Amino acid sequence: MIHLIKKFKIAGLLALSALVFYTSSCNKDLEQFTEPVISNAGTLTLTEAIAADPDNSLYNALLAKSGMAPLFSDKASLFTMFVPVNSGMKLFINVISGGLVDINSPDAVFTGFISANIPAATAAALISYNTIPQKVTSGQVPTIFPNYEYPTILNPTGTSTTAGFNPFARLTTFPSRRGTTLWVDNIPVTAIDIPVVNGVIHKIAVLVAPPTKYLWDDIAASTDLTYLKAAIIRADSGVAVAGRIQTALSSFGANLTVLAPTDLAFKQTLTGAITQALIPVVTAQLIAFGLTPAAAAAQAPAVAFAQASALASSPGVFTNPALFSALTAQTVRGIVVYHVLSAQTAPFFPPGVRIFSVNIPATPTTVKTLLNSSPLAALHPGLSVQATGTGITVKGAANATPSNIIFPADRNALNGVLHKVDQVLLPL
Amino acid sequence: MRKIASYMLALSLANILTIAVFAQSTTISGNIVNSVTGESVSAVSVTLRGAPAGTFTDDRGNFKISFNQKLPVTLLISSIGYALQEVVVNNTSQPVKVQFVPANSLGQEVIVSATRVAQKILESPVSVERISAAAIRNAPAANFYDVVATLKGVDVTTSSLTFKTPTTRGFGGSGNARFNQLVDGMDNQAPGLNFSVGAIIGLNELDIDNIELLSGASSALYGPGGMNGTMLMTSKNPFKYQGLSFIVKTGINHTDGKERPASPYYNWSLRWAKKLSEKFAFKITTELIQAKDWIGTDYRDYDRSNAVLKAGSRATDPGYDGVNVYGDETFADIRQVLSGIALQAPFLGPFISSISANPINVSRTGYTEQQILNPNTVNFKLGGSLHYKITPGTEAILAGYWGTGNTVYTGASRYSIKDFKMGQYKFELNNKNWLVRAFTTQENAGETFNLGATTQNFNEAWKPSPGATGWFSQYGQAYLSSRLSGASDLDAHTAARAIADVGRPVVGTAAFNDIYNRIRRLPVPKGGALLDRTDLYSAEGNYNFSSVTKSFADILVGANFRRYLLSSQGTLFADTAGKIGINEYGAFIQASRDISSHLKITASGRYDKNQNFKGRFTPRITAVIKVTENSNIRLSYQTAYRFPSTQMQWINLDLVSYKLIGGNKAFKDIYHFNTNPAYYRDSLKNGNKVVKDFPTLNPEAISSFEVGYKGLLMETRLLLDVYGYYGQYTNFLARTEVAQSKTGGPITQADAITGQIYSVPINSTSKVKTYGFGIGIDYRFPLNFSISLNGASDNLTDVPSNFIASFNTPKYKANATFANTGFGKAKRLGFAVAYRWQDAFYFQGDLANGNLPAVQTVDAQVSYKLPRSKTLLKLGANNLLNQYYYNGVGNSNIGGLYYFSVGYNVY
Repeated sequence: MIHLIKKFKIAGLLALSALVFYTSSCNKDLEQFTEPVISNAGTLTLTEAIAADPDNSLYNALLAKSGMAPLFSDKASLFTMFVPVNSGMKLFINVISGGLVDINSPDAVFTGFISANIPAATAAALISYNTIPQKVTSGQVPTIFPNYEYPTILNPTGTSTTAGFNPFARLTTFPSRRGTTLWVDNIPVTAIDIPVVNGVIHKIAVLVAPPTKYLWDDIAASTDLTYLKAAIIRADSGVAVAGRIQTALSSFGANLTVLAPTDLAFKQTLTGAITQALIPVVTAQLIAFGLTPAAAAAQAPAVAFAQASALASSPGVFTNPALFSALTAQTVRGIVVYHVLSAQTAPFFPPGVRIFSVNIPATPTTVKTLLNSSPLAALHPGLSVQATGTGITVKGAANATPSNIIFPADRNALNGVLHKVDQVLLPL
Repeated sequence: MRKIASYMLALSLANILTIAVFAQSTTISGNIVNSVTGESVSAVSVTLRGAPAGTFTDDRGNFKISFNQKLPVTLLISSIGYALQEVVVNNTSQPVKVQFVPANSLGQEVIVSATRVAQKILESPVSVERISAAAIRNAPAANFYDVVATLKGVDVTTSSLTFKTPTTRGFGGSGNARFNQLVDGMDNQAPGLNFSVGAIIGLNELDIDNIELLSGASSALYGPGGMNGTMLMTSKNPFKYQGLSFIVKTGINHTDGKERPASPYYNWSLRWAKKLSEKFAFKITTELIQAKDWIGTDYRDYDRSNAVLKAGSRATDPGYDGVNVYGDETFADIRQVLSGIALQAPFLGPFISSISANPINVSRTGYTEQQILNPNTVNFKLGGSLHYKITPGTEAILAGYWGTGNTVYTGASRYSIKDFKMGQYKFELNNKNWLVRAFTTQENAGETFNLGATTQNFNEAWKPSPGATGWFSQYGQAYLSSRLSGASDLDAHTAARAIADVGRPVVGTAAFNDIYNRIRRLPVPKGGALLDRTDLYSAEGNYNFSSVTKSFADILVGANFRRYLLSSQGTLFADTAGKIGINEYGAFIQASRDISSHLKITASGRYDKNQNFKGRFTPRITAVIKVTENSNIRLSYQTAYRFPSTQMQWINLDLVSYKLIGGNKAFKDIYHFNTNPAYYRDSLKNGNKVVKDFPTLNPEAISSFEVGYKGLLMETRLLLDVYGYYGQYTNFLARTEVAQSKTGGPITQADAITGQIYSVPINSTSKVKTYGFGIGIDYRFPLNFSISLNGASDNLTDVPSNFIASFNTPKYKANATFANTGFGKAKRLGFAVAYRWQDAFYFQGDLANGNLPAVQTVDAQVSYKLPRSKTLLKLGANNLLNQYYYNGVGNSNIGGLYYFSVGYNVY
């Protein structure tokens, strides 16, 4: 074969070769189509923009510590980053150092703390939680009540090399907008829409720390929420694990807002309720002891109150067999789910809502609860919430007065947010 | 040389044997040589004045003629290209030596195609072109089909190195059902695949006596199909052309390594013909072509739902569907995957909905034509015939042409025609006044497969598209995962593809070949193979009553019968239940009369009936006005029609993305269009729901007027031929897309995309019009230099806006050829340079639509004759400047082919 080619070449291809390789572009190549060029606003990358702003110097130190700067230098990626100003970083460091780093220390002290005391992994988690993997300008944050859920780039299950890693697990963050005012979770945004090549920066007042535990862990560990814990356990009795409230409060996928009545609130409500239940019983007993009906009726409330106070003096009230008929599991369940808020307007996923205190409007606003997810109670009016200017009130349908959200509110957890309230909310 | 000498010995032995068979009284032998070059002249007609005796010179220029007449006699010596010579012979003792004088043959050629009766080309009543064996010999073409492209008004679509499809007056394309190709009277169309295969299974270059090409409507004489023209290829009769001939052509293509490394081209052809007696002759012909084929390298992005090219590449368009990239026709909207994830991980719901506003169409990763197509193109032809003269005027012929090969065809996808076999066998009896012919075409598609369907199914075989662990699910998950890490949309797609494609078989590995070779052998829809074994049986005859009716008119009558037997085991046609037969028959009559010495009128009519369609009558009337002895004006009104092709009637091909079906009423039941109606896809897209009904198709027809002039001017040195035509199509056959609900539920707008899509044949109700003109000039300079210039224009108008006509013809095209058949010392040198230009136009094909840029090509050859050894050396180039061009979107990109050939006894 080769010798034929050779022979052929010798035969005279040489003479033609000049013409053969003479390529004056005579026939057009394939007609090509121009693709539109996508232009990004801004000239600096996220990394560069942070480094260039002196008011972000402490966050920049945190970014340096995290080792994530190269990711945010990638011009092809798109991120929205909530960047705390230096005063916010100082406050954060003051808190996590347990006050050891004085808020008025020179910047160098803070950078030194970041460098020496915050592990790289922690720094990375902090940065990641303040970063949304898409470009969200202030105008793109919906004004819907209460807020909009965005995934951050923080994957709590670890990295792709970690066992049990789930690539879709993400801690989420909750930007909200009212007019031009922005919050992320409960933290105000102080400057919006700083353009960068690979996304946008919003400056925030304080670093938003990622949650570390589940709602249930918070409830179980809180010394003033022992009644709530007992009530949840009572409510779940006889229910399969998957359907339990405790399970939901311990699940990563959930997104719940829990209004948590304190022990004091439970005591008051239970004492009152048990007293009312006991008065006829005590009255009958006193008459049996020989008191006149009038005297019995006059003394009974005090006696009943004393007995009720004793019964309601500990969370054991929910496990007291004597009260099983009064506090049935179903009754308790009804009360507990009335304290868990739910959205009714979710686009295509199960209802869940995380309402931060800053999201609550000044006008009374109705919020549905998980009670509404029962077909029997679907039309229940829910709760009414309102920011009054001095505080935030929540009123149950059967409560005489609104209860107050106890500040500091906004106990953010992996699967929701918890606000303590000073009354048990009563659906009916 | 030793070989040649042995051939000579064999030949002279054969001559001696021949003499022994002679039984007549007087024999004259002689030899004819060219008076200029001294070389012997073969195939020269030698007849006896006043007697029926006649013979031809053999390949050494020798002749022997026997007769019962007394001396002296006059021999008439004639051959195209030489002056007629009369030689008076007084005695037989010495062989007659004839110095044959070359002469200008311009306009002297004889054609038969125009009226089925031999006549001078100058007097043809319709536009006709002729290519003689001599023209092919001096043409700058590696393949004689390329010579056809230099004729006026002809377009040739090149699908691959060996797959060339000529047409005239529009409708270029790989498969052209509007243009007939006849080889020795046999329709050369592969009966199941509906394309003519003359370039791969037909005559070889050495065996071509002549090619005649009728432009425009010609079915009045040659039966249904010749809407746009008919090409008649006639082989050399072994009584006339004798001896051994061969051409060894060796070449090289891909010289610039653009598509693949430079590779050799081999084309060997051989013909051996022998007249064993005055009654019996035979010939054997064979040809082998082996080369690395051209390939389709159009990697532009194709928007299949709107049938337009668009911006984008595999790197920038996740839904990329490259024209010559296969397997990427499979696509899905990965929002299905994302919304599934949102249900599992509700916290991602808002994010997913924020990126799901518009469809996220993603296509499977394809393979390029270069990667999957075996570049070896092999073509082997074998033919032969036995000729027996029952009487001196009646000849019986038994002939067969068989071929096999690999080539590439462009249809709805690109098809690798692999180990394709087709045989054509005929028996013919012909006489001056009548002809009876029966032939059959036996087709076997071999391992032919559809690149698109095969590769789509290959992808499925490697990793299925649907399912929780399917390719799209993996892709969607990886895409979302990347997006959640901040990757840009495009980067996320790139990363997702990389993950979904992990383990994707690499071309050339055993893993790839194992799957691919298995899939390509499975019939569609599971693979890509076509198991076509369709056959055609045909019989025809005609009788010329002129000898009886001469005083009144020349009358010719004829009739034919055809039977198609579709056989694809359900892989191409709806023939799962068994072979489908289609019968067609027709008859024609033609009468011509010289009204005066300056006017000849010919009228013909033809009636055809197909069992599935109404019968149809097609008339033709022509007039030739003789202006001077050597110039004529021709006028004609012709009608032509075609029945829907076998595929238009019965195809049932699941191309995965859509189903290509025929128009036979049986499909109504097969796909339940009565209970689950199909809707025009266009209408559905716009929100209108227009039901497609399925009426019986009508044959397509064209009525055409033509006027032309052909004349020899400037002392017969200039041949001028001009024509203009106007035609109107009725019941124009085309295809349209319809959509049907997959579930049987009510149709929705979304079904335009997600429903079952069918491509169905339809008749257009509008009158599509066509017109054009052509002009050709041939000028003979002294010393054998000649120049040919021609240009033509073809147009189609009144095409409805939503109608895909696939006219596929440039508005203007032109050819120029400068040549010399003999110059220099003893006129041994020859050369030819041919230039072709065609205008840009918008191409519409089943594979893809798009703009075709203007094309220019230069072909050239130089040759040198060695008369003593009867050898012709030729150095030539097709597409000399190696300027790649393509003449159909998705077709192979054709570069330069350079060759050197040694021809022996090429006449």
